[in-house]
Amino acid sequence: MASGTGGGGLFGRSNSGNVPTMRGLVSFIADLRNARARELEEKRINKELANIRQKFRDGGLNGYQKKKYVCKLLYIYILGWNVDFGHLEAVNLISATKYSEKQIGYLAVTLFLHEEHELLHLVVNSIRKDLLDHNELNNCLALHAIANVGGKEMGEALSSDVHRLLISPASKAFVKKKAALTLLRLYRKYPSIVQNEWAERIISLMDDPDMGVALSVTSLVMALVQDNQEQYKGSYVKAANRLKRIVVDNECAEGYYYYKVPCPWIQVKLIRLLQYYPPPEDSHIRKLIREALQKIMDSALEMPKNVQQNNAQNAVLFEAINLVIHLDTEQDLMVQISTRLGKFIASRETNVRYLGLEAMTHLAARAETLDPIKKHQSIIIGSLKDRDISVRRQGLDLLYSMCDPTNAQAVVQELLRYLQSADYAIREEMVLKIAILTEKYATDVQWYVDISLRLIAMAGDHVSDEVWQRVIQIVTNNEELQIYAAQNILQYVKSDCHETLVKIGAYLLGEFGHLIADTKGCSPIEQFLALNAKMRGCSSSTRAILLSSFVKFVNLFPEIKPQLLQVFRAYSHSLDSELQQRACEYLALATMPTDDLLRTVCDEMPPFPERTSALLSRLHQKHATTSDKRTWVVGGKDANADPKEFSLVRSNTGLKRSFTEPVRKDRTPGAANGTNGVNTLSSDLAGLDMNIDTNKVLKAPNLASAAHLSPDWEIGYNRLLLRAEGVLYEDAQIQIGLRTEYRGQLGCLIFYFTNRSSFPMGSFTTTLDNRSAEQLKTDIKGLPDTTIAPDGQTQQTIMFEAKNVFANPPTIRVSYLAGALQGLTLQLPVYLHKYMDPAELSAEDFFKRWKQIGGAPREAQRIFGLRNKNYTMNMGFVRKVVQGFRWGILDGVDPNAKNIVGATVLHTTEGKFGCLLRLEPNFDTHMYRITIRATDEAVPPILIKAMEERLAQGVEGLS
Amino acid sequence: MINAVLVFNNAGQPRLTKFYTQLETSVQQRLISEIFTLVSNRPNSACNFLPLPPLLANSSKSSTPTTPHNDTPSLVTYRHYATLYFIIISTSTESPLALLDLIQVFVQALDGLFENVCELDLIFNFETLHATLGELIVGGVVVETQLDKVIEGVKAQGTVAKRPVNEGKSGMSFGGFGRGDGVWAGR
Repeated sequence: MASGTGGGGLFGRSNSGNVPTMRGLVSFIADLRNARARELEEKRINKELANIRQKFRDGGLNGYQKKKYVCKLLYIYILGWNVDFGHLEAVNLISATKYSEKQIGYLAVTLFLHEEHELLHLVVNSIRKDLLDHNELNNCLALHAIANVGGKEMGEALSSDVHRLLISPASKAFVKKKAALTLLRLYRKYPSIVQNEWAERIISLMDDPDMGVALSVTSLVMALVQDNQEQYKGSYVKAANRLKRIVVDNECAEGYYYYKVPCPWIQVKLIRLLQYYPPPEDSHIRKLIREALQKIMDSALEMPKNVQQNNAQNAVLFEAINLVIHLDTEQDLMVQISTRLGKFIASRETNVRYLGLEAMTHLAARAETLDPIKKHQSIIIGSLKDRDISVRRQGLDLLYSMCDPTNAQAVVQELLRYLQSADYAIREEMVLKIAILTEKYATDVQWYVDISLRLIAMAGDHVSDEVWQRVIQIVTNNEELQIYAAQNILQYVKSDCHETLVKIGAYLLGEFGHLIADTKGCSPIEQFLALNAKMRGCSSSTRAILLSSFVKFVNLFPEIKPQLLQVFRAYSHSLDSELQQRACEYLALATMPTDDLLRTVCDEMPPFPERTSALLSRLHQKHATTSDKRTWVVGGKDANADPKEFSLVRSNTGLKRSFTEPVRKDRTPGAANGTNGVNTLSSDLAGLDMNIDTNKVLKAPNLASAAHLSPDWEIGYNRLLLRAEGVLYEDAQIQIGLRTEYRGQLGCLIFYFTNRSSFPMGSFTTTLDNRSAEQLKTDIKGLPDTTIAPDGQTQQTIMFEAKNVFANPPTIRVSYLAGALQGLTLQLPVYLHKYMDPAELSAEDFFKRWKQIGGAPREAQRIFGLRNKNYTMNMGFVRKVVQGFRWGILDGVDPNAKNIVGATVLHTTEGKFGCLLRLEPNFDTHMYRITIRATDEAVPPILIKAMEERLAQGVEGLS
Repeated sequence: MINAVLVFNNAGQPRLTKFYTQLETSVQQRLISEIFTLVSNRPNSACNFLPLPPLLANSSKSSTPTTPHNDTPSLVTYRHYATLYFIIISTSTESPLALLDLIQVFVQALDGLFENVCELDLIFNFETLHATLGELIVGGVVVETQLDKVIEGVKAQGTVAKRPVNEGKSGMSFGGFGRGDGVWAGR
């Protein structure tokens, strides 16, 4: 049916696709475009709205007609009109069977509705149906809708379906990538919908061969990492590895090269993810990252002519620079970027100047020394005069961050000079920054007062209240400033000055006027006349302050009381009730028979309590909060080192920071608590935070830990406890072989992973869990391949260094995708005895040392029998076990040939330990008595534990 | 994250407005007009980045006080092509240059879909415009950047209509960017 509004046929379509073209819509849009005046457009729209309303009311429309009218509504909505009446019809379209109609319905859902819209709960079921549909296009529409309007309710109802689409082996790549970001949206709205058990599976998707999937999963992981750093730590190795493969090995799918740069987006994401963790301990991972960063730096050296390529290259380069600064360990790269940044900030290209300044601000936030930046001080100051305001802002941030005691005066001077010509948009921020720097780097009294007053005099209206109040606080709290400040402010007040200075003048003279009353030109009457002259031109809040200072004058300077009383009398008739009240009260106070009350009321103000500089809070209010973690803040090393200021930016809770100026000691602690109500509040909040954190830790399972060992792990473990090589684990799909070599305190383990199935394994991942991290140092020398073909093999080398005596062997988690995610957790046969070398001792030496070591605590003894009465034991078995535990058997030391005596030396980085053994087996009663003495009391119980375990299993346990 | 994607022409008429964080319609309208004023007053030599003025940042934050993650936009990244401004509003944690690249991919994808796209195509085919954006960004996060896959994804959802023949494209064309590599039609 043609549109009731006529005009159809004017615009024939050049294509004749199988999709019916909506002529009515086209002509309607054309009508609106042809409307010459706003009123005509309005008239046309109102006519159409009336028409649609009527059609909807009449009902009986077919799918095509509904779609057409909803399209018109969408267009009208986009023009900025309200179309609420059509929402229901529009939203109902999503359950249409025809894709083109469903599509328009979903577009309406994403445009008309929002998270808390009441119609939303009507569509949850339709959306679920589309999520479960076999048609992937329908899955995508549903995912897209959730990603746009999903909130808590949708999250609870649909998150498991979204998750299923993400991990199902049957999902196509274009569904997976959308599912990943849909899950991200739901997680942001309602974090608890992502279950802890999903972590390993989600991380494994970062290896997906499809770059689109990898990109969106990386975005999802980045969000999860911020709240669950520990649980998602596996993502770090994956990110480093993938980055290196893309950048160095050119492993990038065809079509993902953007102007010759291999997928800049995923590079940027991966590099950013790496900034969410502290620099890695592991030498291999560090090498991967270093190689990738160096390659990025090198490729950026060739300056391509093509603007897009240049752009993409720089996008990666600037993120890489951020990572280098974050790592702060790669000296070589640091030097390179300092030089590079120096060139950038002088670049002819505005974008590069802008980003160069930003990166340098990051450098200033982290670097040990500001020297490389200070080299460019004149260029940076020059950037304050850049043509582009965006660049000027960055220049300001950098100057603020690069300040230190040596250049503060010069920088502040420059900023003050620039303030006069600065854009109005950034003046307030400049004033704040100058004020903070002045306070922070004030070395002498005069400088602080001079600059602060000059700043306020110059900036006038751009001075926020925090700034002038802070000046008063600091002068009040620092006796040495008071005389100088009072003299100076009086000079300002005598001249034609800004009202803000009058406020400061009124307060400071009221408090400290008497300190300068004997100076020439500062007599009481002169102070009074200067202030009183300002009365007329000022706002009522300033007049109120002036009146208060006059009552203080009554107390300080009784000689000018008549003049003061006259002012009070005049204002006791003021129309302003505040002023009138003050004047009347002050008048009464000043004319009382005795001065007692006046004196008490006008006593010198106590110092202000210590608290955060309101300036910093004010400054950081300007920086927006984001759910993506910021890794640094503007403001140099101090600001970043101070966790409180850092969190000021992140949370805006107004945490406290101590005064930078000395505070008088005679303050009573009680008073401080009383005035700092906010302080208690924020510490309450901090406590709350802690609770949440501990809950998370409790809930999050560490699948690599010994608590999650897979069935049958002990078979291979026991076998390899006494041998150097063999099979650690095998099943129908995988075989894990292990070769080990120990030299002194160093152990080297080489793993061989063989795929025994007939399918390739994807996202092959190993994760170590080391319970004895303090004593046993691990170093991963390489990573296994991410995919293993059927019958294929990959290997990995891990070094274990015994730094000291350790009790618990490490465990390893091996996971891979074979349809679903398969995972194994195995205990590694890295036990203390592996670091021992058998020793030869004569009988005489043995007994001498045995006595030297003595009994408890450096001796341990156990008496035990075989585990099972069917087990057997014999001499050969016992000797084999003892030798397997790396004892040198000393024959002929014990007169009883059945008893075994042994000696060995344990090597650790922190020292060697001698160990001696006496083992008395009783073959008749199937019992053992074992005694071990060692030069360190930690050793015997650990060795006894493992040997008992082994010996008690008898011959039958030895396979 | 990306808070919004806006497209408007040189006269300030919006051709696409897509918000990924919830805003009231009135705030949206104010935001659009203020951003247009900001951006259109900048010379071509200026950089493509602009801090979002605090006033705007505050007003848009206040509308979602309850969400645990407060994504306050703070950066405007824009590019100007012949008659159209493409604008992305994002949080400070996005890489600004990558956003510029994204705009370029968006424009190239539209160009591929409409064969020499012009402003009129965007007016008459707003559903295709939204579908294209949906292939690039999901929930404020970049989902795909491979040009062919984006175009393929849009085409899979239905035929892309041609513009009406007698609506000429006089002066509306973006010019020969896209396939003809190296022409920087806009800043």
